[in-house]
Amino acid sequence: MEKCSLPAELGSLAELRRYVTEAAGSAGIDEARAYKLQLAVDEIATNTILYGYKDVGASAVISIDNEIRGDALVITLEDHAQEFDPRTMRMPNAEDLAKPLEERAIGGLGIFLAIHGVDRFEYRREGDRNLNIFQIKIGHD
Amino acid sequence: MSFNISVEERPGEATITLAGELDAAAAPQFREVIEKVAEAKPLRLVLMMGEVEFMASAGLRVLIFARQKMGAGVSLYVIGSRGPVLNTLKMSGFHHSVHLQDTYTPE
Repeated sequence: MEKCSLPAELGSLAELRRYVTEAAGSAGIDEARAYKLQLAVDEIATNTILYGYKDVGASAVISIDNEIRGDALVITLEDHAQEFDPRTMRMPNAEDLAKPLEERAIGGLGIFLAIHGVDRFEYRREGDRNLNIFQIKIGHD
Repeated sequence: MSFNISVEERPGEATITLAGELDAAAAPQFREVIEKVAEAKPLRLVLMMGEVEFMASAGLRVLIFARQKMGAGVSLYVIGSRGPVLNTLKMSGFHHSVHLQDTYTPE
């Protein structure tokens, strides 16, 4: 599948998820792992759209690409928003996750699900671009 | 598949049926329904989620919002959730605070 560029708006999330499903299907990844990859991409893209591009006009774009690298499917999300490395965000730990909902802090859950859902997550800043890179192994463990 | 939501209110109980993809684009709609339902101050909030095929953290945040808006005294039920959506709920520790059931059985 070719690289695909979409307007950076919440309405594009469904299209991004469809792209991941198709790429995962072509790579022969089972449904449960494909879902985790879909969720990871959705969460990071949501973050970019809502916060990264918050002050940018209608021209903002988010791109998605895929490649097979060794025994893994690699999905790359690319944006031109301000620099943001999701790995630096505070994520809930075991103690936070055991708390009742009325005591929960709202933040960090999406990035937690994204990073823990894939086999490998990388972030790189290249020039004015954020690259969020997700890997899922194709074969079973 | 897009997102659908419907509400049924009885004395002391509100049932919200969700279907489709609950992502950040759909979550505000869910939140609005919660706000409306909270006005009647139900004792039990029942979420029928058997037809939810995708749920992002935006959906989880609405559940947190529901709990914080309605108070700890309200029982929250998530019914029929399965597969990866159920996994996400458990991974996020929601099984500590919410009744996760296959079919609705008030406790």
